[in-house]
Amino acid sequence: MAEFSESPKDRPSEISELPDESQNSVSDFDPCTMRKTKPGLKRLFLTLTVLFSFFLGSPFLLKSIEIYRSPLPFRDIDSLSDSVGSSPLLFPCHFQAIFVGFDNFDAYDLGISIKHEMKKLTKHPVCGTCSDSNYTLSVTVDSGSGCARNYNAESTFMWRCGAIGEFDLGGGGDDDGVDEFLGSVLGSCEGFRKVYSVVVVNRGGEVRAVVGKYRHAWIVGGVLEEGMNAVVARVAETFVKVFVNGGKEEGSIHGEFMPVGADGRIVLSFNLLNADPTDWIYGWDFQRIDEILLAPVIKALGPVANISVESQVLYHTPKSSFSYWDEKWDSYIFSTKDLPFFVNSNEWHLDTSIAAGGRSKILQFVVYIPSAKECPLLLQLPNGEISVTNAFISPMWGGVAVWNPPGCLRDSESKHPARHTISPQDLQEVFEIFMGQLRQLFGLKSDSLYVGASGTTNLLASERGFTEWELDVLSRQHTCFNLVSCATTLGSLSRLVQSLPRMIIMDEIGKQVKFSLEAAKLTRSNASLGIYDASAVSSRQARSLAEDAFFHPSIMSVSYYSFEHCFAVYSPFFLPVSMHVLLAAFREWRRYKQETAKYLAWKEKAKVAAS
Amino acid sequence: MGSFFRFRAFLLLILAATHLCCNSIAHSSSSASSSSTTMHTNNWAVLVCTSRFWFNYRHMANTLSLYRTVKRLGIPDERIILMLADDMACNARNKYPAQVFNNENHKLNLYGDNVEVDYRGYEVTVENFLRVLTGRHETAVPRSKRLLSDEGSHILLYMTGHGGDEFLKFQDSEELQSHDLADAVKQMKEKRRFKELLIMVDTCQAATLFSQLHSPGVLAIGSSMKGENSYSHHLDSDVGVSVVDRFTFYTLAFFERLNMYDNASLSSLFGSYNPNMLMSTAYYRMDLYQRRLEEVPVTNFFGSVMETIHTVSAYRAPSGKNSDKDKIKLSLDQSVGLDERRTLTSSNVQDQINDSNTKVSSVIPPYSYLHIFFCISCSDLKDGKALMLQDQLGLLEHLWCTFLNKAEKIEDVDILVNYGLVIMFPLVAKTNCKYEDLSIGGCCRTIV
Repeated sequence: MAEFSESPKDRPSEISELPDESQNSVSDFDPCTMRKTKPGLKRLFLTLTVLFSFFLGSPFLLKSIEIYRSPLPFRDIDSLSDSVGSSPLLFPCHFQAIFVGFDNFDAYDLGISIKHEMKKLTKHPVCGTCSDSNYTLSVTVDSGSGCARNYNAESTFMWRCGAIGEFDLGGGGDDDGVDEFLGSVLGSCEGFRKVYSVVVVNRGGEVRAVVGKYRHAWIVGGVLEEGMNAVVARVAETFVKVFVNGGKEEGSIHGEFMPVGADGRIVLSFNLLNADPTDWIYGWDFQRIDEILLAPVIKALGPVANISVESQVLYHTPKSSFSYWDEKWDSYIFSTKDLPFFVNSNEWHLDTSIAAGGRSKILQFVVYIPSAKECPLLLQLPNGEISVTNAFISPMWGGVAVWNPPGCLRDSESKHPARHTISPQDLQEVFEIFMGQLRQLFGLKSDSLYVGASGTTNLLASERGFTEWELDVLSRQHTCFNLVSCATTLGSLSRLVQSLPRMIIMDEIGKQVKFSLEAAKLTRSNASLGIYDASAVSSRQARSLAEDAFFHPSIMSVSYYSFEHCFAVYSPFFLPVSMHVLLAAFREWRRYKQETAKYLAWKEKAKVAAS
Repeated sequence: MGSFFRFRAFLLLILAATHLCCNSIAHSSSSASSSSTTMHTNNWAVLVCTSRFWFNYRHMANTLSLYRTVKRLGIPDERIILMLADDMACNARNKYPAQVFNNENHKLNLYGDNVEVDYRGYEVTVENFLRVLTGRHETAVPRSKRLLSDEGSHILLYMTGHGGDEFLKFQDSEELQSHDLADAVKQMKEKRRFKELLIMVDTCQAATLFSQLHSPGVLAIGSSMKGENSYSHHLDSDVGVSVVDRFTFYTLAFFERLNMYDNASLSSLFGSYNPNMLMSTAYYRMDLYQRRLEEVPVTNFFGSVMETIHTVSAYRAPSGKNSDKDKIKLSLDQSVGLDERRTLTSSNVQDQINDSNTKVSSVIPPYSYLHIFFCISCSDLKDGKALMLQDQLGLLEHLWCTFLNKAEKIEDVDILVNYGLVIMFPLVAKTNCKYEDLSIGGCCRTIV
């Protein structure tokens, strides 16, 4: 390089020498500073051609080593995350309060005061509940002869005036009868919308509040003795705490009470464990449970999860915690602080399911039959009492119920104990415990009482395991949970994909993301219309598709190759060659300029000589 | 050449616009990782032996010893992922066929009954290991080979083999780099696959493997610092090779004294390592872990203690005089229900996704199905075009943004590469010039 840079500097001195040698004219022609012929363009042209073909070729190269990335709708994902994160998903809810025997009260005023009470109870909106701007409340005061309604009572909320007179409400304490009657009266006018109703009957006597299996509650008795404010507070509490929040303290669900797999499926695995089959062997008629008792439950939970059932009987499965003999109870006792060690995971081979896919959730339900040397086995609570159910759950895992064989009588000392079958009555009881556990795993309570601030309310149980209003609560909460989970999963995916610009993204992922977003959108539109079931279903789809996209096996950081890698692979091919090509072109251009200068210098000289 | 200049230009741009679009991303990731207070509900263990060949007997013995320990302390087999690179038990050189010992007294056969190896032999690869951690498996992979942890899980990750500065060798053919590990852990955190994670590594220079970890909730312990070796404990002259590593040996010695009811804390475990006995310095990385080690029982990671809640009451459905009638009615209903379910299952809403992974829910009330159909079709019609446009716009921006982001992250590496190239430049130029001088001849030189 040095030689090139020096030559132009030298030239002026040479040129300065030229004039005094000019008289020698052509004879002292210096071949180093001038030339007679015009420099040729051929060499320059060739090198430039090579250089330009390099430039022209580079787009083709880049195109050929390009990595296929299915376009993901990043903007939609961001907007979904933003909207889910900024405002909790709230549903429209419809409430109806019917007052019978309150002839002196104005429906409009009652409506205002109930709304006021409800607002006090919902301080900040929780995801999956009702928004206070979006609910409607209609109040009807039924005086027997006619009805007075508040202003926004719509025609769909019609309560047939005087209907209550046809039935002796709560007279004989036959709550189921009342429930069915109210169901028939209110259900007929419910229509498409889901309306939560509270019927208040003022008739004297003891106050009794019951929440039915459907979407209504009734309060009967001398309610006015405590004043109208207490009545209003009670109605509002029933609406907010029971119908909206499901009788729980907080409205939203924690992760540990969301026992639905990422693909929206649950496998209920029922296990009968014979701790020591040399003592006794019990079997069960599981087919009967499945067909008669479980099927309606599974159907009822359909919108929330896709549930399948399997069962097995295991032998030689001792528990791994200890129990001791207690004279007072005349039985073996294990206490609640031993419960964490009860499940003997090395001997209990519960997770044998082949039906459960990779991301399904398996909930184990275990009936533990103790051996003869620890029978009867009872669970003692911290307060010294004996558990009624003899059962416990572990969140996200399942539940265990200890069932003691009747009488704990060991068979005769024969080596082959007879096989027994758990009697249908016992099985029914065990199943009721299982139902309680399933509800517990879903975060619902099973005791038939709700103790609120304004009094105790009886909750009626449904033979489907979950009442209508509880299913509504579950649908709403699961919709919310699924939507949030879908948004965070897609958000993670988009961050991941953006952080790896050289990663291949298959079309399948793009499709899954697109459908997931569509399902999420559908969820929101269904939710805004107040269709709980459909929104739960579509939210489940959205979540499962988002999970599928996130966990797609093609996304692996070791199996794509990064930009550094690409650079390292191609630079040995092109870098040395391109250096030469570029430098050659540069040199040729310099040479051409230099030679042209020489030619011009000679021409000048020739001109001087000629003159 | 062109690519090189383009590259330089990008680098300059990146240096100029470092903080343009990265703040928002960083912010959102931090918000996603802030975990809600979830209950600790289950325990998982991933135990990996990464080396092959007979002379690495001790690594397999290490792993199997840990396997035995966590199983004894209550982690069930279905929650242990055991990866063993080579099958020492059936090695032709094994004097005790089908047995593996971790002590020369041969009291304890580690390869006794019920050893469930999930990944064996050539299946133990970096890819499979990362798949286990991140959960990205092919559909056909069975549940037993998956780490199905959730946000309430405590995971123990134990690895042993031959390592070096920021890497761990897998079977003498691959390496797991500290970046890979940190990336996998980050992804696990992002997807809430663990509540707390304990990484325990018994290799040479084990501490270096943790240097890139940034995810909260991770506790790491390594057998040796940077520049230190991790030594084997003793040689079994019968078997002919060393049978256990020092770090693992003393870990096991600690756990031998424990049963699942014990309340020994992690700090007592960490305190039990004596550098003189280990002949290396055990290293703990605790800055990412929130809880105080004195309060964390070792059974939180090495055992499985279930969180239990007493079932207060059974759920008694109304049963009385008309219970029989109800049952008959129900069974009738139920048969109808079954039929309905079947028909619904067969009609998938989204047949368009020809993908076996996607499971479309099957039990839906009929009217909601109609609604779904309706909404999908109308949203398609309405928003199809708008969406596409948005996508394209968004994509350009995003590509640019991600490029900047990515390039910024690899800045250090690039500067290195660049300096190398800058050094290469004059070299190439010089050789070029010399060559030219020789060929063209010394016309100019005569002047000089």
